[in-house]
Amino acid sequence: MTSIAAPGLAISVNRSHRRLNSTTATSATIKSKLPTFSSSQNPKPSSSNPNIFASKQLHNVIKTSTAIVVGLYALSRGVSHVLLGGSGGGAGGVGSGSGGGGGGDSFWSRIFSPAAIAGEEESPEWDSHGLPANIVVQLNKLSGFKKYKVSDILFFDRRRRSTVGTEDSFFEMLSLRPGGVYTKAQLQKELETLATSGMFEKVDLDAKTNPDGTVGVTISFLESTWQSADKFRCINVGLMPQSKPIEMDADMTEKEKLEYFRSQEKDYRRRIERSRPCLLPVSVQREILLMLKEHGAVSARLLQKIRDKVQQWYHDNGYACAQVVNFGNLNTKEVVCEVVEGDITQMVIQFQDKLGNVCEGNTQYPVVRREMPKQLRQGQVFNIEAGKQALRNINSLALFSNIEVNPRPDEKNEGGIIVEIKLKELEQKSAEVSTEWSIVPGRGGRPTLASIQPGGTVSFEHRNLYGLNRSVLGSVTTSNFLNPQDDLAFKLEYVHPYLDGVYNPRNRTLRASCFNSRKLSPVFTGGPGVDEVPPIWVDRAGLKANITENFTRQSKFTYGLVMEEITTRDESSHISARGQRVLPSGGISADGPPTTLSETGIDRMAFLQANITRDNTKFVNGTIVGERNVFQVDQGLGVGSKFPFFNRHQLTMTRFVQLKPVEEGAGKAPPPVLVLHGHYGGCVGDLPSYDAFTLGGPYSVRGYNMGEIGAARNIVELAAELRIPVKNTHVYAFVEHGNDLGTSKDVKGNPTEVYRRMGHGSSYGAGVKLGLVRAEYAVDHNSGTGAIFFRFGERF
Amino acid sequence: MASQVIREWVGFQQFPSATQSKLLELIGKLKQESGSTLTVLVMGKGGVGKSSTVNSILGERAVAVSAFQSETPRPVMVSRSWEGFTLNIIDTPGLVEGGYVNDQALDLIKRFLLNKTIDVLLFVDRLDTYRVDNLDRQIVKAITDSFGKEIWHRGLVVLTHAQVSPPDGLSYDEFTSRRSEALSKIVRLGARRRKQEVKASSIPIVCVENSGRCNKNELDEKILPNGTAWIPNLVQTISEVVLSESKGILVDQTLIDGQNPNNKGKMLIPLIAVFQYFFVVKRIQKWIKTDIARESRPSWA
Repeated sequence: MTSIAAPGLAISVNRSHRRLNSTTATSATIKSKLPTFSSSQNPKPSSSNPNIFASKQLHNVIKTSTAIVVGLYALSRGVSHVLLGGSGGGAGGVGSGSGGGGGGDSFWSRIFSPAAIAGEEESPEWDSHGLPANIVVQLNKLSGFKKYKVSDILFFDRRRRSTVGTEDSFFEMLSLRPGGVYTKAQLQKELETLATSGMFEKVDLDAKTNPDGTVGVTISFLESTWQSADKFRCINVGLMPQSKPIEMDADMTEKEKLEYFRSQEKDYRRRIERSRPCLLPVSVQREILLMLKEHGAVSARLLQKIRDKVQQWYHDNGYACAQVVNFGNLNTKEVVCEVVEGDITQMVIQFQDKLGNVCEGNTQYPVVRREMPKQLRQGQVFNIEAGKQALRNINSLALFSNIEVNPRPDEKNEGGIIVEIKLKELEQKSAEVSTEWSIVPGRGGRPTLASIQPGGTVSFEHRNLYGLNRSVLGSVTTSNFLNPQDDLAFKLEYVHPYLDGVYNPRNRTLRASCFNSRKLSPVFTGGPGVDEVPPIWVDRAGLKANITENFTRQSKFTYGLVMEEITTRDESSHISARGQRVLPSGGISADGPPTTLSETGIDRMAFLQANITRDNTKFVNGTIVGERNVFQVDQGLGVGSKFPFFNRHQLTMTRFVQLKPVEEGAGKAPPPVLVLHGHYGGCVGDLPSYDAFTLGGPYSVRGYNMGEIGAARNIVELAAELRIPVKNTHVYAFVEHGNDLGTSKDVKGNPTEVYRRMGHGSSYGAGVKLGLVRAEYAVDHNSGTGAIFFRFGERF
Repeated sequence: MASQVIREWVGFQQFPSATQSKLLELIGKLKQESGSTLTVLVMGKGGVGKSSTVNSILGERAVAVSAFQSETPRPVMVSRSWEGFTLNIIDTPGLVEGGYVNDQALDLIKRFLLNKTIDVLLFVDRLDTYRVDNLDRQIVKAITDSFGKEIWHRGLVVLTHAQVSPPDGLSYDEFTSRRSEALSKIVRLGARRRKQEVKASSIPIVCVENSGRCNKNELDEKILPNGTAWIPNLVQTISEVVLSESKGILVDQTLIDGQNPNNKGKMLIPLIAVFQYFFVVKRIQKWIKTDIARESRPSWA
């Protein structure tokens, strides 16, 4: 949100200091009490008459809270663009935030240049000055009825006796623009604004008539300067009560004045004492101190620079609501920078209906509240990054179609921020039916009426039960509704998050589901040179209940119970108890390895399943770097056909080693990465062939078909891959090896040998990533031949 | 099965008297020391002369033999008794078909052998093939896998077609020893025997010649080109093997099915599970904790 800190945001420094009066007694006291300097936002025209400000030059500390509010409101406008469009990805929505900042920017200019807007809104016509050309006219000599066109604007520094360039920070304060059309009143107001800004000791506005009827405006000024300072202090004055400017009678006696100054000084000291330390790091403070020392005398421009620097730091670090509101203690050895950092006073969660009206939500508040980062809680300083994080977290709940996180100024609490979260809920219930017709060739290859099959998916979902994000979802898919027993796929799932209570920070989710699946068994696959092994389909249907505990976004521990029935079928969907094999004579014999433990073709079993994933990978310029370890155990309970008792375990270790340090940032090149991968799988006890570990395939040993290397009781896979970034993608080279450790024979029926597989194999190759697709050339070491593969997704 | 009917060993009388007396002596010794039955399993590639060897030992045409095709589709046991001593010889189909070990044939043999004790294994190959290849090794391996490597303590290699003229420049004995050496090496590898084991008891090799044109000596015994009468020699080697300290192989169900790998280590499963929980799951949990602690926080956090 750097754009918030753009020129439009410039804070004008009020001219409310008091010049040192050498005649006053006890200069020391006076010195310390007088030279306070207050800055404020450009006062909102409606709130207070700038004239009053101008006349009260002795207000040591003036805070125009209204102005701050305006500023923050504008900010919130900017921030309010940080919202998610529909249920679209969080990233995209967040990305538009900076654009929103731009919007805020224009808002600023609207607020701060009412005159300019007025000028623009008027008809383009303007009046000629009606005076002889090339004479200098004082502002008050101009006609109040005419609309003057300003041809150019010059700033004239009286002290340096030169005009300043347009790049000077003073130009930021000006709302007049060359070519604009202004009335006398507008010009006067502009001058008043400048005069009250505190930047100038004296400022005048003259118009120089041009021959073509336009006028050139010259602003001559004397910049305010104060004593040099050798100390810098930054304080957070947010949420502190405003110090009331005490009216000072013009006819005060010297003594009264002294008394007044003294009390002012005391107040200010107390104020500093009560203020909280600010977030500004020492390093920045030191830099500023250096600036102060370099410059010697403290000038208005230097203060502007300091303000910019301080605000820059805040905005760069996401404290979008931080504002420098005042410089105090000027003309002493110390410059005190008063900052309103934007302390959060309240967090409000609001639900909206489809029309954007506030309504009562179904979702319970704690569900949303627990997704909020700590930094958005009351008492913290608002940070835009924390806001984005909240947005992402809430979005990941997948309960809302629209999420807005708005910081809003707290009207009751000056300098405070109310974080407002506006949520539009998604429909709780949804159902979907999709259908498709397929025509299968009937007898003789001709499609017949009977061969037209209606297929499709019916699914329903009931989300957010009791407002606690519990959900039930189910789906049924078949390619033939008339005969659904052939390939009916179903799933029914119940998800129960916050198992330990919604207030408990422990994040455990219970899932119970009822499922089925059908997969081609890679165990019954031929080795190289073996023509065709009759396939075996493994159908699983069962119940599953597990508890997932999330430790981090990626690391989690899942444990639960699985009860399933496994049916093995041949090509024609008949239950087959043994694999088939092709005899050397060409015939097929059905006495291959047993497909199931029970040797009937149907197994039932119950086992405990646990999976722990440790994943600390992160993206460095779009490339994954880090470490991932997964350990999974299936522990048989001896319940089921033939009382299966087993311990089937696998450990996967993957490391993404960054080979070169790189600068992080959008558009920067990703580092080259070396991926090291090891996988061990083993089983003790009963091992039906469908649970045997297979070697070969795009996620095992590349360059081979699924299961082409073997199916074994214990396996080891080792892989290394080197990824080199090239342009927007990367190329990679890899070496992989898979080994059955001689345990193929420990699988009943030894399917590895029956189907003439080696039991071990290596491969190497190289490839390029094209979007989601990997295109790679892999050489399989067993046969020594290579082939090009196209695969989706990542190997690791 | 018909062949299991124990018949008189009629062929015994057909042997020349010198052979007969030698055999009687050996049989007597066997009867004394190991019991009244001897079961011999004959295995080998197809067409190497397994059945012919069986016939030669028995001295009769007990199993069908054909020069041009496999005549033994399934294992056959021929039993002959002589003076209270029973000799069982099991002839088997060739183990090789289409360049691969025929698992089916092996399976058939195993099933046939169920509940029988094998006293001696005759691994038959031809003397007059010059080379040994991977297939030979695979056959040996298949036999080892089926019956365990102990069977090689009871095994002997029989080389048929021994009446061969050796290739140029080699004497008969030299050729025989070279061929035997090559084959023993294969057997040693296939049987996964260690060097020391081999030294302690190397697998004996016997040459035979089943052909009717086999040379005979003055006692009418069939002899090899080096002059040994091979039938008594074979029986003697068999008896030596039987009388060595090793035991016969009883083929039971577990041997046929192989040791059920599913039962291996089953008792350890609870221990394994406990180990996994404390040393793997806990360890990974600790890693996750350090990850969380080390996670680089954004500047605002």
